Amino acid sequence: MASHGVRRFKPVEKTPEERQQELQKIEDYRSLERQVSEKVANHDYATDTLKKISDLLNRNPEYYTIWNYRRQAMRHQFSEIKDGAEKVTTQPILELIKNDLIFLIPLLRSFPKCYWIWNYRLWLLDEARQLLPLTDALQLWQEEFALVGKMLTLDGRNFHGWGYRRLVVETLKRLQSPEDAMGMTQKEFEYAKKMIGANLSNFSAWHYRTKLIQRLLDEQAATDNERRAMLDDELSLIHQALIDPYDQSVWFYHQNLLCVFDPDTARRTMAPNLTTSERLQYLRQEIENIQEILDGAEDCKYIYQALIETTVLVSKVTGSLSPEDRDQILSWLSELKQLDPLRQQRWADFERTL
Amino acid sequence: MALVSGPGRAGGSTSLDQELHILKHVAYIKNLDTRKDELEYWLTEHLRLNGVYWGMTALHLLGHPDALPRDETIDFVLSCQRDNGGFGAAPGHDAHMLYTVSAVQILVMIDAVDELEKQGRGGKQKVGSFIASLQNREDGSFMGDQWGETDTRFLYGAFNALSLLGLMDLVDVPKAVAYIQSCENLDGAYGLFPGAESHSGQVFTCLGALSIAGRLDLVNIDRIGAWLSERQIDKGGFNGRPEKLPDSCYTWWVGSSLAMIDRLQWIDGKKLAGFVLQCQDSEGGGLADRPGNMVDVYHTHFGLAGLSLLGVEGLQEIDPVYCLPKSVITRVFAKS
Repeated sequence: MASHGVRRFKPVEKTPEERQQELQKIEDYRSLERQVSEKVANHDYATDTLKKISDLLNRNPEYYTIWNYRRQAMRHQFSEIKDGAEKVTTQPILELIKNDLIFLIPLLRSFPKCYWIWNYRLWLLDEARQLLPLTDALQLWQEEFALVGKMLTLDGRNFHGWGYRRLVVETLKRLQSPEDAMGMTQKEFEYAKKMIGANLSNFSAWHYRTKLIQRLLDEQAATDNERRAMLDDELSLIHQALIDPYDQSVWFYHQNLLCVFDPDTARRTMAPNLTTSERLQYLRQEIENIQEILDGAEDCKYIYQALIETTVLVSKVTGSLSPEDRDQILSWLSELKQLDPLRQQRWADFERTL
Repeated sequence: MALVSGPGRAGGSTSLDQELHILKHVAYIKNLDTRKDELEYWLTEHLRLNGVYWGMTALHLLGHPDALPRDETIDFVLSCQRDNGGFGAAPGHDAHMLYTVSAVQILVMIDAVDELEKQGRGGKQKVGSFIASLQNREDGSFMGDQWGETDTRFLYGAFNALSLLGLMDLVDVPKAVAYIQSCENLDGAYGLFPGAESHSGQVFTCLGALSIAGRLDLVNIDRIGAWLSERQIDKGGFNGRPEKLPDSCYTWWVGSSLAMIDRLQWIDGKKLAGFVLQCQDSEGGGLADRPGNMVDVYHTHFGLAGLSLLGVEGLQEIDPVYCLPKSVITRVFAKS
């Protein structure tokens, strides 16, 4: 369906043999589909059904109804094991789940953006959490954690991968002891740092960092001083990252940090309790720092945007825009209009608000 | 309606094609269902009902609303309904929010919602109950189906379909609105669920849902407008997130979002339209994600919908909240 990034090619007329082969493939596929549907309609969830379901999903992992059939078949097998066992043992269920997790790996590798595979996998792991002893479940989820790390190494911006990682981490925290859970936030923080280090443009990792910092501070019941220390660290990190000022991701992180000084958003940030004079001091310092970046990068629109935004924040904190600041903003704005013709009207609208 | 991509032709991809090939696109969409001798036709059956919605809406925008047979379309849509009131992608496929929304949109578009009342199907009330059953009453979010995937896409879909059916009272709107707010990031944009990275597709669903709920007052318009306008890159096209490649379908996700907050003028519409027009296959019809790539009905629909937002000549006007022709939305809400 939605073919993303597939180059257009000139269709070649098929030979009669090729045509015949394609029709045969269609017939095979549809016949397999019929067999699976019939078995499920008859509540026949034997091993052979599961095999056929696997075969069908290997041919078409986007076929969501078949994933649902697989869930039904697995649940059936779980309950058969539970009913059939003479003494209580969850070993066969563990084996079954492990095998199913292995079955999914090549599919995830070939179709890393397929929602249905991720969903199914999550469901399966959740079944494990409910059906297995804690140690077994914990081990499966820990292995999952390692896997999602590998997936994100292959594609650092995979939206599903990042969302999935958060869910895995949240579950692991619930399964672990409180001390281990707290250590995890710290480890995740290190992980986001590593991913940013590997590629400064990885906004997914920057975003994750914003969320982790808050969580880390909350979990540690950090004092205002500790929060300020974290803020200082982040500001110095972002100033280093801004050595390449042409990268939008880094500026979005910078914008995120500026929210700390915005009276409207401060309560949602890592340092909500700064005083007005502290906020102003930070903002003035920030304007100076950004102006330094401008030296040699006068054609970089993001710098002017950041200077304007920071100065507007000063006026928000003090309650009025000084004539000097207004003149400064207007001069940056005239540069910005030259550099950013796509968003001309946005800048014109902004100018009218001054 | 086939979702097979292509056939696609080489050439025409690098030239500055700035003409809208209306008849080529109409022919392309009409021919999609004749490709049953291709394996991919069968491999994409799980999207069929979405495909009918994409194709049908595109045909309406192109000014050929009757190009697909009405009766056959109704029959096909109804054949996808399951006992629980929801719709699957094709006959026999499991019910899911995504296809239920498409079914409602198609029936609304061709003024055939009354068909639900026939043949003992339980009427629109039953469809509404299916959708409402997927709301998590604790936090207001919506699942796609009984297996539990939660995503702001499903919340928007529920609001879209229920409001078209006049059944919003079946769900807890204030809770759903609070859930959307919990998905807002400090950049003003929205993610898949609370804490997730902002994404244009999710911005569309959250702003759409807030529009339907009449709660756009909760949006930080300057901030999200800025984020959305930064999605336009030098080539003219929109990307979905910072530092990603442009794609014609984001013309819709980003463009409609800007339209909903009345900030479409914050980007260069002419340059954007130029990028989308280059994604056309000028010979075989259809649009691709980027110039020179394979066309498909998904990008054809969203590319054309984006061009319609931009007021490109030759296209009917689209409603930015519902992604249906404006004339359809006017008709539906004039009735109620």
